[in-house]
Amino acid sequence: MNTDTSTPAPPRRFALLFRHPAAALIGAIIVLLALFAFWVPGGRFLTTENLLDLAQQISVNAIIAFGMTLVILIGGIDLSVGAVVALVGVVTVYFLPHGLAAGLGMGLLTAVAIGTANGALAARTRMPPFIITLAMMLVVRGAAFRFNEGRPLAAPAGAQAFFALGTERLGGWLPTPVVFMAAAFALTAVLLHRTRFGQHLYAIGGNREAARYTGIPLARNETGVYLLSACFAGLAGVIQASQLFSGEPSAGQGFELNAIAAVVVGGTSFTGGVGSIPGTLLGAIIIGILDKGLNQAGVHFSLQSIVKGLVILGAVFIDARRRR
Amino acid sequence: MAEVAPLLELRGIRKHFGGVAALGGVDFDLRGGEIHALLGENGAGKSTLIKILGGIHAPDAGEIHVGGERVAISDVADADRLGIRLIHQELSLAPNLSVAENIFLGREPVRFGLLDRRRLFANAEALRDELGLAEIGDVRARVGTLSVAQQQLVEIARALSVKARVLILDEPTASLSAGETVALFTKLRGLRAAGTGIIYISHRLEELAQLANRITVLRDGRSVGTQDAARLDLRELIRWMVGRELKDHYPRPPHRPREVALAVRDLRGPGVNGVSFELRYGEILGLAGLVGAGRTELARVLFGIERMSGGEALVDGRAFAPRSPSDALAAGVALVPEDRKRQGLVMTNTVGYNLALPWTREWLRGPLVNRARRGEIIASAIRGFAIKTAGPAQPVTALSGGNQQKIVVAKWMERPPKVLILDEPTRGVDVGARDEMFALLHGLIERGMAILLISSDLPEVMGLSHRLALYRGGRIVRQSASADISPEEVMAVLTASAADGVSETFPQK
Repeated sequence: MNTDTSTPAPPRRFALLFRHPAAALIGAIIVLLALFAFWVPGGRFLTTENLLDLAQQISVNAIIAFGMTLVILIGGIDLSVGAVVALVGVVTVYFLPHGLAAGLGMGLLTAVAIGTANGALAARTRMPPFIITLAMMLVVRGAAFRFNEGRPLAAPAGAQAFFALGTERLGGWLPTPVVFMAAAFALTAVLLHRTRFGQHLYAIGGNREAARYTGIPLARNETGVYLLSACFAGLAGVIQASQLFSGEPSAGQGFELNAIAAVVVGGTSFTGGVGSIPGTLLGAIIIGILDKGLNQAGVHFSLQSIVKGLVILGAVFIDARRRR
Repeated sequence: MAEVAPLLELRGIRKHFGGVAALGGVDFDLRGGEIHALLGENGAGKSTLIKILGGIHAPDAGEIHVGGERVAISDVADADRLGIRLIHQELSLAPNLSVAENIFLGREPVRFGLLDRRRLFANAEALRDELGLAEIGDVRARVGTLSVAQQQLVEIARALSVKARVLILDEPTASLSAGETVALFTKLRGLRAAGTGIIYISHRLEELAQLANRITVLRDGRSVGTQDAARLDLRELIRWMVGRELKDHYPRPPHRPREVALAVRDLRGPGVNGVSFELRYGEILGLAGLVGAGRTELARVLFGIERMSGGEALVDGRAFAPRSPSDALAAGVALVPEDRKRQGLVMTNTVGYNLALPWTREWLRGPLVNRARRGEIIASAIRGFAIKTAGPAQPVTALSGGNQQKIVVAKWMERPPKVLILDEPTRGVDVGARDEMFALLHGLIERGMAILLISSDLPEVMGLSHRLALYRGGRIVRQSASADISPEEVMAVLTASAADGVSETFPQK
């Protein structure tokens, strides 16, 4: 007897690699590149130097967005990442006089503390993550401003290694932030798509009760996700501080929204359970190209914001249509 | 047998939720190699009891012994370690994951710390074939794309994917077809022969006669007693459970057909492949079919959730082609959907909210709320359908399954529809509530409503319906007066292999 009512299986090879039909995103990237190649005067857009610069600018947002993908995947949200960028930057610079290791160590500790607090509160209380991380954003931002009465904290003049961290070009051409981004990509992609931890995140996002009934430790996984998110934000904070060569308490304003935009454009579902790291990378690339391209094409910043908003809306609209 | 230590023994298990005692001292024992049925009306404490065994709730008092040793089951992992596997009544699958991923959730094969997907899919396929659950289909398909019945099979496959000492099934057949039920029973008997202890919860008393060795009845959070299944007859069992006797298990309302309410000719749509029938006022037409036969799809087309793509439908002789549920309702066609909690009710809200929801036009004019009118609508529904509730402000989640189901029916009745489609109206409701549902149908038929009844419970659909339409592959393959056809004949038609060809004609009786 044949009662086959199931829909055709998803295309396997791609699904395993991307868990997301990435073709549309890649298509969008090609279209945008072609558009700006013509639009930006003097053919300055599609040069190696400009594209490397673009990659570097994408890096910070992408690193934050990888962590954000995990959070949104389990049905959460982390609004505190922008503030974490600032506080970790300030803390790292503050401790730099005691050596690079001291600075980075304290920065990492800060990120771990914030991430653990977010995660523990989200996992063990019934408070919504939106509210928890909104409050955390305010607390962390305030903490960043307390260090030097709200003024930027200059890095000690001798901290050359710290300066190199975010500005060096490996082999004379590859910007270090891009290397960090690649590492963060590899780490989160393997974690999400190739380990049981990742598998369980999909289960938690898809059906929390089912995950619980299966014996998946919800609190541990959830805490881990917020911890990772804060650590990636911290990494972004260190890169930023290195590039500015100072701890800037007002750094990272609105970074959380840019990261969320990359995640969502990359096809991660806001209700949880669906999404991928490669998708987020492509999403971050699209947002990055738009930012830089519109800027170089000489579009007024007010219009840039409008265009970006419409692109995000369009991307999510197309995604929602395809899913139906 | 008495000298053998039971595989599982519970003594004086108590559990309170807030001030409410869900379990007030349950004693229970399970031997290896037996199927022990657990019976009781909804709210009797069966679900709480098995959740304690599964490590989801912790008991407030009492002892649990497994294999003669006292154990504590404080989380799901403990239950796993003790070999206690639970199949939940509520589907507990992740819809965004594949069948295989769900089956092995929490136990994914890993190689060098990384997921081994090839082995995951291969294991799932092997398991599916070994268990004879071919209806599950592709193990790579996302669970969210499967029918409810297929999802149930995935749950079963998951529970059977590890060797269990104690297997607990909570209403496993609620959404299974007769054929799948038989296959499941065969599997359970095999497990029993291999020494597994099985706790089996079902509202379908007929099943227990075929399956159980012993039966324990729970009532109001206490075990009323345990007896050998062979010594009980069905009637006695029902009385035991509900404390009253049920007169007729399937009381068919009197058949007084009047003019045609709904006529459907060669109707086509997603999953509907040319359906023709007539349904008269004052009559119940039962759609009998196996799971996946496409009956729900027909209901969805008639209620305007999916668009018709061909053929025609007439309500009172007027063309009827709903493009949305509100079109269908305006034409007098209402649906009581298959999934009460997802499609039938707003579970986060109150009894009154749900009953008044379809009639906002009656009590809401712009910004003005006519509270009196709203209260009237709610009160008349609660009264008219004898819904057991503390009042309109009570959350629907606090009601029993049977009373929730009554709300799903009652909410349409402020202005009764001409045609009411009921999709699996007695799924997951207890014996008493089921009886009340039958009485409710009785009342609707006496008021002259036309009812299209979809049920996978063959005795039920045959017992209640005046006429039967046997449904297979998105079409009606035979129609008959219910009284003129035997259950064996129905099963033969429904399970006839698709290889026979869809255009075959069946000999009329």
